[in-house]
Amino acid sequence: MDDVIERIARHLRRPVQVDPALDGRVMREISALPTPGGATMVGKAWRWLRRPRQFTMTPLGGLAAVAALAVALLLFRRDSTSPAPPQVASRAFQFVLVAPRAARVSLVGDFNDWDATRTPMQRTGSDALWTVVVPLEPGRYHYAFFVDGSRWLADPSAPVARDDDYGAPSSVLTVGGGGDS
Amino acid sequence: MGIHSVGTSDAALVRRVQTGDTRAYADLVARYRDRLGRYALHMLGNREDAEEVLQDAFVRAYRSLARCDDPERFGAWLYGILVNRCRTAGARAARRARRFVNDPAALETAPLAGPDGRADWDDTVRWALARLPSESREAFLLKHVEELEYEDMARLTGAGISALKMRVKRAREQLQAMLKETERV
Repeated sequence: MDDVIERIARHLRRPVQVDPALDGRVMREISALPTPGGATMVGKAWRWLRRPRQFTMTPLGGLAAVAALAVALLLFRRDSTSPAPPQVASRAFQFVLVAPRAARVSLVGDFNDWDATRTPMQRTGSDALWTVVVPLEPGRYHYAFFVDGSRWLADPSAPVARDDDYGAPSSVLTVGGGGDS
Repeated sequence: MGIHSVGTSDAALVRRVQTGDTRAYADLVARYRDRLGRYALHMLGNREDAEEVLQDAFVRAYRSLARCDDPERFGAWLYGILVNRCRTAGARAARRARRFVNDPAALETAPLAGPDGRADWDDTVRWALARLPSESREAFLLKHVEELEYEDMARLTGAGISALKMRVKRAREQLQAMLKETERV
């Protein structure tokens, strides 16, 4: 390596001491959070999903799976029915999943700490359509659908979260002051 | 990865956290705080921003611990979260900076400020590092400061190995050029 580069690298490799008070701030913040998913249904299901396995599927079964994965319209509408809109500029977003064979579906994401119990989706009259409306403030959110307590689906109608922190497929929704994506 | 644990293994601590022993997470925070803090500080160039991003990364990691598939590699997984948080914070800072520039043409032709003649080596290095494009700075730090292999860098950043090699090469060339420039001042 060039001498100058080596000198720069050596300089930058020197230990950096972060304020130890950061530990306390982190611990205070997480004390308000639930135990991370290890003991929860979502955590167990996620590990089960990521475990390598082999399986066979008939063409009919494959078609059914594709139909279940053929998702979703992300519809934006203003929550005009609300008699007292909140002070912050939150908007209602309707999340939609087409999953005719699903028995239960939840929406999980940054906005509900990926907790599958907090935002269950409702089956609509057509039986195939699952929807839920969530008020969101401006920001960038990662989300996914959690189906039958075992399947974790990104939303194919929304942008893929390219900077996903966790190596798992998820979608991204950006709620801006004006337009959304 | 270039991150190693000592004493109680990361996996043992992660399992304790997952079963409700929150205090075990404090050990993980203390174990990785300074190492990850160094990367964040060099990447963002500002101690306050670096500590904010580091805290955010630790909290996000805690919330998503169920998605850490291999607790033995908790360090690498946590590092990936931090790299992404730094990218987001860097982009946000860049957007903030752009708001103050109403005349891009003037910016293009403006002379670049460098460290003055009295600047020490630390100032010079930080000045040069801050002038690298963020992708090049990220690649340079991961390769030459954190001393990761290209395969690990690819896993962390999502970029291909060839692209990473090119970014490191460009970063080295740019740093060399900038350092030569300051020597002439």
